[in-house]
Amino acid sequence: MARMKFLCDAERCIECNSCVTACKNEHEVPWGVNRRRVVTLNDGVPGEKSISVACMHCTDAPCAAVCPVDCFYTTDDGIVLHDKDLCIGCGYCFYACPFGAPQYPQQAAFGVRGKMDKCTFCAGGPLQDNSNVEYEKYGRNRIAEGKLPLCAEMCSTKALLAGDGDMIADIYRQRVLKRGGRPQSWGWESAYGTTG
Amino acid sequence: MKMLLRLVAGVSLTFLLAGCYESTSVTSYQPGVYKGTSDPLLQASADQRAEAMKKRFELVQMDR
Repeated sequence: MARMKFLCDAERCIECNSCVTACKNEHEVPWGVNRRRVVTLNDGVPGEKSISVACMHCTDAPCAAVCPVDCFYTTDDGIVLHDKDLCIGCGYCFYACPFGAPQYPQQAAFGVRGKMDKCTFCAGGPLQDNSNVEYEKYGRNRIAEGKLPLCAEMCSTKALLAGDGDMIADIYRQRVLKRGGRPQSWGWESAYGTTG
Repeated sequence: MKMLLRLVAGVSLTFLLAGCYESTSVTSYQPGVYKGTSDPLLQASADQRAEAMKKRFELVQMDR
């Protein structure tokens, strides 16, 4: 069975932020919420590296483990999704997530966070696939259309890969063999463990 | 007169108590169990999607 994963090849990422723009545009993500962002390590120093970060859809998702209302569920192929109608905006998932993926609209008074929003691997949420209400709450459901996340499909250098973990690992292995050096599959061990 | 007052009081009490009615269909919490709306995406198994996903991956994600 396929297991959906993200991988960002830091050797290829050129910090163009097209993944961020594609995500915001595709899902009409509100101001202040970034489901995906590009982080640059040692910015300005020769040899700096950039990584595109979003929810990694972890195997044993810590967000789901700490959620007091259990609003998270996982699909057969490992996509971690949540129900915004159950979410109480407590913020526990934000503290638990090693990638800082959960986001909050912060539109209410008195510091109330609002319903949590995060990358859905372009798989929408628990509403009728590609209905208006699903689009407004969770964004477009590309998985139901037989497509992969737009951030990865848009990536001009193919630094960001999204899809079956085995296929991604094969591509990355070939790249490392070709260019030499050590594999640096950033975030994979935190997200998927050593066994995947 | 007293009868009428009692009747009015009885009817009022009935309406007041009826106003205090609460729905008994509560969602009881169980740790680790998702009780939200069912996702239509889950109705199709990952295996059913796998072939389409593989084709799409080969189309847009492979190194050229």
